[in-house]
Amino acid sequence: MARFVGRRLAYLLPVLLAVTLLTFLIASLLPGDLAYTILGDQATPEKVAALRAQMGLDLPLWQRYLLWLWDVLHGDLGRSFRTGETVLAAVADRLPVSLELMVIAEAMGLLIAIPLAILCAVRNGSAIDRFLTGLAFGKLSLPPFMVAILLIYLFAVSLNLLPATGWIPFAEDPVANLRSFVLPALTLAIAEWPVLMRVLRSDMIATLQEDYIAMAKAKGLRPARILLVHALKPSSLTLVTVTGINIGRLIGGTVIVETIFALPGIGRLLVGAIYARDFIILQGCVLFVAVGFVMVNFIVDMLYAVLDPRIRHGRA
Amino acid sequence: MKSSFKWLALAAVAAFGIASPAFAQKKGGTLTVGLELDIPGFDPLKVGVYDTSANIAAALIFDTLVGLDDNGKAKPKLAVSWSNSDDFKTWTFKLRPDVKFQDGTPFNAAAVKWNFDRQKDPKNNCRCAFYIANTLSVDAPDEVTLVYHLKDPAVNFPVLLTRPDQNSSVQSPTAVQAKGDDYNRNPIGTGPFMVKSWTAGDRMVLERNPDYWDKGKPYLDRVVLRPLPDSQSRFASLKSGEVDLVWADEFEADNIQRAKKDSSLQVLSYAGSGAAVNVFNTKVAPLDDLRVRQALVMALDRKKMSQAITNGLARPASNPYGDGSWVKCKDDGALPEDAKKAAALIKEYGKPVKFKMLFTATPRGRANGQVLQQFWKNVGAEMEIEQVDQATIPARAFQRKFDITPWRIVDFPDPDVQMFANFYSKSPLNLANFADPDLDKALEQARTTPDEAKRTEHYCEASRIINQNATWFFTFQNTYYAMAKAKVKGVPKLYGGVIDVSHAWLE
Repeated sequence: MARFVGRRLAYLLPVLLAVTLLTFLIASLLPGDLAYTILGDQATPEKVAALRAQMGLDLPLWQRYLLWLWDVLHGDLGRSFRTGETVLAAVADRLPVSLELMVIAEAMGLLIAIPLAILCAVRNGSAIDRFLTGLAFGKLSLPPFMVAILLIYLFAVSLNLLPATGWIPFAEDPVANLRSFVLPALTLAIAEWPVLMRVLRSDMIATLQEDYIAMAKAKGLRPARILLVHALKPSSLTLVTVTGINIGRLIGGTVIVETIFALPGIGRLLVGAIYARDFIILQGCVLFVAVGFVMVNFIVDMLYAVLDPRIRHGRA
Repeated sequence: MKSSFKWLALAAVAAFGIASPAFAQKKGGTLTVGLELDIPGFDPLKVGVYDTSANIAAALIFDTLVGLDDNGKAKPKLAVSWSNSDDFKTWTFKLRPDVKFQDGTPFNAAAVKWNFDRQKDPKNNCRCAFYIANTLSVDAPDEVTLVYHLKDPAVNFPVLLTRPDQNSSVQSPTAVQAKGDDYNRNPIGTGPFMVKSWTAGDRMVLERNPDYWDKGKPYLDRVVLRPLPDSQSRFASLKSGEVDLVWADEFEADNIQRAKKDSSLQVLSYAGSGAAVNVFNTKVAPLDDLRVRQALVMALDRKKMSQAITNGLARPASNPYGDGSWVKCKDDGALPEDAKKAAALIKEYGKPVKFKMLFTATPRGRANGQVLQQFWKNVGAEMEIEQVDQATIPARAFQRKFDITPWRIVDFPDPDVQMFANFYSKSPLNLANFADPDLDKALEQARTTPDEAKRTEHYCEASRIINQNATWFFTFQNTYYAMAKAKVKGVPKLYGGVIDVSHAWLE
């Protein structure tokens, strides 16, 4: 097990290097120049050149990347040229909001998907199965921003049950904090559950055809016990993978959802940094997101080993 | 006859209602304002130029030397009086004594001078320096006297100090020096509200300044500013009562029209001066040909365009001043909207008319582009849409790397600054690359003549030259919007698009 963990951790490093290098490349391909952004209306060619030199923007790309990497390895992620905020402070302020949003969204998604998947698997081919798989397919093509606006008009404007926008810190008021996450998380969950349901449903149908399930039935175990204890665990391998990959998709989804619901998360920090050509913040955000994504996948790999002993023993 | 009397009477009541302070302003309460964008901060050296969101906050935290009254004329604020030299190049301000910044630092002439010098210092590379280029230096001979020395004369200089922006918001020198990098997000001014807390991306909470120099003000206990970037959820937050007032623009025409019909809401709109404008690069073919430029301007149908993009809310513009300006022209020289004539001119030119135009890479930019493309296609000209991000447009404009670029003349109490910058032949912002001695003369005279009627004549002459030479064209006038709950009172005209809630109250 220790070797397994060690090997997985060793993969992290090249992945992070590749991700940050790619961000650097993409950011430098963006049109618009930091020097022009800073100097604005008084940007004469001489001033631009001078400022570029002062900020090290005239150095070749690889050199700039290595300088940035050197600072990062020394624990210095830099400061925003625009707000003077350190990257660490900016990310530390925003990350908890996005994390909470993602966790609640993923939990909601699973809460919708698991019962429906079990229902469909048991009633495989029935009217309810066809309706739900059809609905899931239709839902896949409904964009989150539409869902968000519909939810806002229903729950915030018409029924006045939940806030349309905003965020209250958990420490200040836990209930208000959770209330402010309901609609944004639901928006993401509505986008997520169809995928989760479909994979669990098909795995479950396969599992239910296994001999040991027939055996369990023959032994006279209650159907609920068979489904939840004997069938669900072996059927959830793909579900766990997809849940892991979904975290990556959710990071993308949070950008939109945080904008619509005005949540101060890392998605909005990222977008703001792109618009302002605030490369230092942008690079910092991407680094954190990438680390987060890689870590989630690492945890998923670990979970595999827990769910299916063959994985950890087969390799070791 | 009878009905017109009724209207007169109604108008009189309305006028009285606005002018009379008889309605008691209620004290207390919290006003929550939904802005469009996050505020990056307040240190001019860091943020360069305030955007509208920062302006709205600055109007609460800071004071300017001069304010604007309901008629767009200068009124005392941190300065109580002013006078000028005969050549309008030296302006002397007498400052309000016994005013303190929120950190206890005394406000005086030296503090204002310190702010100015810091922005002007070439070593600081401040983007903000561009806007004070005409002021050579500021002297502070004593505590309450401040002398501005200008490069070019400005007959209406005090109104140029009224915008709650990076240059005119007076910041506490001790706070700026003591806090260093952290000052940007911990601003200190002399204004009616102080920053209590600020969660980036979420909300800024401002508390009443108990020691505000204008005794008895402000009325509100607290103002909360929240960035709500999405226009639909911003409007939903207003409707559901989470915010009391929101920033808006004419691109959310449907929400504005809905709010107008809703008795629990009010729409604050202000028909400002200036316009959304577009610049021809007169040095590149085929736009170097007068006939082509004239044809492209005549091909427009602004009413249709307004209908297509803003549900008809946007008001067509034919000159750089607009209805909100005191410059009113009998003849602004506008070319007729005449597609037939335009097509004939293109034909007369003989060669194919192909060019590119810059647009912002936003849905609005795309919509604008497609409408213009269609108008021009109808008269035989082929425009290619080039979508770039917002930050690229000024850069491309300054380097003259464009055929046509969009630009904006913002609402400002005096036309001189922008007219001179945009149209004077030797100005670095003469984006059209166009020079005309008569235009230069009109602009020079307009800035040295104190008499408003005579200045108007010069500015109308300038407009005629610009329109007849079709170097720039004007699409829509500036209209600024805010939507609010009906209980919100005391918000002045939205000068320059800034929603100033510093003296608002809740009924």
